[in-house]
Amino acid sequence: MSDGHALPTTPTPAGFVPHEVAHHYNSHVQEYQSWKLAFWLFLATEIMLFGGLFAAYFVYHDLYPETFRVGGQQLDWRMGSLNTAILLCSSFTMALGVRAAQTSEKGKMLTYMILTVAGAAGFMVVKYFEYTAKFSHGLFPGAYFNPHGAYADAFAGLSGANIFFGLYFTMTGIHGLHVLIGAGLILWMIKRGAAGRYHSGHYLPVDIAGLYWHLVDLIWIFLFPLLYLVP
Amino acid sequence: MSHDSHGHGGDAVGFHAPHVVPSMLFFKVLVALLFLTFITVAVSRVDFGSANMLVAMGIASVKAALVMTFFMHLKWDTPINNIAILSSFLFLSLLFIFTLADISTRSATDPALNEVAPVLDYRERWGLLEH
Repeated sequence: MSDGHALPTTPTPAGFVPHEVAHHYNSHVQEYQSWKLAFWLFLATEIMLFGGLFAAYFVYHDLYPETFRVGGQQLDWRMGSLNTAILLCSSFTMALGVRAAQTSEKGKMLTYMILTVAGAAGFMVVKYFEYTAKFSHGLFPGAYFNPHGAYADAFAGLSGANIFFGLYFTMTGIHGLHVLIGAGLILWMIKRGAAGRYHSGHYLPVDIAGLYWHLVDLIWIFLFPLLYLVP
Repeated sequence: MSHDSHGHGGDAVGFHAPHVVPSMLFFKVLVALLFLTFITVAVSRVDFGSANMLVAMGIASVKAALVMTFFMHLKWDTPINNIAILSSFLFLSLLFIFTLADISTRSATDPALNEVAPVLDYRERWGLLEH
């Protein structure tokens, strides 16, 4: 720090890359808390985004209760339960990954984050099989709803089925996009983490990627009963 | 992490030290979440009438609270971060309360308002149907 321009660094365990506190912060605490508050506010906007879709769901559930009940029966609750378990387990591994970053255990951190990405991949594979099955039965969203055979009979005399599948594909589609973005963020953390950038002196990015991943889990906790089990 | 660092370039970084939670706590939360998922599926087979929705959303809320409190570290986070995220649920409840108050009380003012509007067939409108 003798040249007067070097930025302060946080305590760095041996073998890790030191973290320089950005020059516009007074302290590392301020840097950490600013990022955390900003990210919590971003997560609040994410909750409002999905909240609008949930409000739409409740309105149409109220208008077409029987259609929604039959619609939910067309979805495979076993697939939905499997994906719920996958996301919950991946949230658990991500929480352990953030913990390993806090304790500067690089190998454990990378292993837990790789497991989390594997969970994301597993979720998307299950979703792929679900979507293709729906498409093959003509269960498309909105205007393209054109059920075949037994699937047309299931909705005989019921209106609003296209709205149920419109909501199903919109809600799970936007959620799936979040799964992909979350997996991408964690892969980025794995790449930088492998280079030794994250440790007890600087685990903020892993922390934030973790918060995003837990939000993905949080949304699914509500989507699963509403779509697959239609109360 | 307590002393002030005035200006820039000093070695006083006001260090944020991590708050490390026992791994076992996370494991217990996972077990609780998986158990509640099982309960969610089980109670969906029981007919409580209109209370099924309340039961399902109640269990989901408990699961969400567990994820936020422990996995997302809110229990040990600052009050301002707790306010930031919890306020979003307050605003969400305003959206739900006023929307559902409208939908569920329409027949009280005029029974005709309770009738479901016919669904427009957009396939026809967009020329997607073969005639």
